[in-house]
Amino acid sequence: MAAVTGSRRARRIHAALAYLALSALVVFFLFPLLWILGLSLKTRAQTFADAPVWLWWPTFEHYADVLFRKDFLKAFLNTLIVSGSAVVLSLCVGVPAAYAFARFPFRSSSFLFFSLLVMRMLPPVAVLVPMYVILSDIGLTTTHLSVVLAYTTFSLPLVVWVMRGFFDDLPVEVEECAWIDGATRRQAFQRVVLPLARPGMVASAILCLQLAWNDFLFAAVLTNNDTQTLPVLMAGFTGGDSGVDWGPMTASGVLVILPVIVFSFMAQKHLVAGLSSGAVKG
Amino acid sequence: MSEISGAAPRPFGDLSAAPAPRGLRHAPLDRFFLPFAVGPTFLVMLAIFGLPLLFSLWLSLTGWSPQQGLFGGAYVGLANFEDLLSDRVFMGSLGVTCGFTAAAVSAQLLLGLGIALLLNLDLPGMRIFRTALVLPMMVTPIVGALCWKLLLDPHHGVVNHWLGTRIVWLGVPETALIAVWLVNVWHSTPYVALILLAGLRSLPHEPHEAAGIDGASRWQVFRHVTFPLLQPFLLVALLLRTIFEFRAFDNVYAMTGGGPANATMLLSMFTYLTSFVRFDFGLGAAAAWLMLLMSMVMCLLFIALLRRRGPR
Repeated sequence: MAAVTGSRRARRIHAALAYLALSALVVFFLFPLLWILGLSLKTRAQTFADAPVWLWWPTFEHYADVLFRKDFLKAFLNTLIVSGSAVVLSLCVGVPAAYAFARFPFRSSSFLFFSLLVMRMLPPVAVLVPMYVILSDIGLTTTHLSVVLAYTTFSLPLVVWVMRGFFDDLPVEVEECAWIDGATRRQAFQRVVLPLARPGMVASAILCLQLAWNDFLFAAVLTNNDTQTLPVLMAGFTGGDSGVDWGPMTASGVLVILPVIVFSFMAQKHLVAGLSSGAVKG
Repeated sequence: MSEISGAAPRPFGDLSAAPAPRGLRHAPLDRFFLPFAVGPTFLVMLAIFGLPLLFSLWLSLTGWSPQQGLFGGAYVGLANFEDLLSDRVFMGSLGVTCGFTAAAVSAQLLLGLGIALLLNLDLPGMRIFRTALVLPMMVTPIVGALCWKLLLDPHHGVVNHWLGTRIVWLGVPETALIAVWLVNVWHSTPYVALILLAGLRSLPHEPHEAAGIDGASRWQVFRHVTFPLLQPFLLVALLLRTIFEFRAFDNVYAMTGGGPANATMLLSMFTYLTSFVRFDFGLGAAAAWLMLLMSMVMCLLFIALLRRRGPR
């Protein structure tokens, strides 16, 4: 009996130590974000007070300010258009390919499959240099289309890799029934497989949306003031010195990351598979 | 020991494909299903990836300015590459990038492993901790860097307030590099932790139970059972993080812009500045190609790993 209580006590101490370590980690990982949230709810005087203010009545003046600013709303709309189009394009092009890779391996299919992975992993700046030169020669830079095409370099591979995992998990018998009933491959794919793969498509759409929403490099080079996305707008804030008004800057920062955090939690189950290019299933 | 490795989990996505169905009659139109399904992906890849990279090779041998046509540059041979290799900023940048990648990846792996082991404990409330700890990796990198820039602000930053100092963190070469490293660790460690946590969850229970019955201590179980079983996942995390840290850009751009005194001039930043600020596209393309070759090696390693460890 004594031995049992002893081990129970040891277990309690272990648990307490684990909670302590986890709490310290949470402070490190969450504090910067909570601090920014706090700054966005402070008046200018509170932000620049000599000692940091820890308790205050939140003010929403900066949010009201930002939400009525033309450049913020425009950038928000641009981000939505550009990342939405990239997701739709990648899904339309990539899902049938992923299905073919999963079900009908053909000659050189694994070469093609792995070159998609390479496309996802090579440094974006290396692709951006020639892409910029070609697009500006055609006169496409500063258009939404150029950014959508650039985003496809990472969202298409992501869709193909994640969707292939989903199709692999789908039992072949489902389509075999359709084939035996006389359906062609295309009919079986459209009427039987696609409806079943909808959760996978939603997950890969969210993962692509997250990457496109967060991208800065491509948008910084390929857009101008009219077509700039939210991260580019945010980078404009950071360029200045501490003389910049922190209120609107932090408020827009919070508004930029809020949607992407919501998306990410929606696809939480697939986050690991998506970000490791299917190497690890979460 | 051999039994344990024999029971090793298969962490990787199933890369083998179902056998193609045979013996079923298909409509003539169906013969074109495969080209129709894969063709568009192939075309898009060629158009936005293959051709630009080939063109980039041509650019690195010539050069380009906005006034001239695509192939208007004069052929200069390997002059751009020679310039690059004798460029002290580039060579410095190469060193900074390698050191930075090594430091960032090792810190992420160590911290990530610690977090994964803690989150894998069977204690109440772990879901909440998990949610709180993965948050940074979801944050837009530019905004994350901005958060830290405000924390580290020399006049009104909370870090200087706590330390009672007036250090210009991002204005001194050493502290600037450390700050950029810290932000990268902050942003990407959760990602390593998630991969390793997925790994820990998929490990078989039997070897741990056997070790427990044999009277192994916690450390012995970790050292001789958990760690070897977790190795494939550690390798995946190591390679993926190396590939992604090697191309790091957003944090540096937002926090230091490559300065002070080129202390944080990562290769991506160098290529960006050369091409889009100095408009030297020949040199930029040469730098881009060298970066490509280096990350290609890492990618091929990763692919070799995927294929070797895949079930087959």
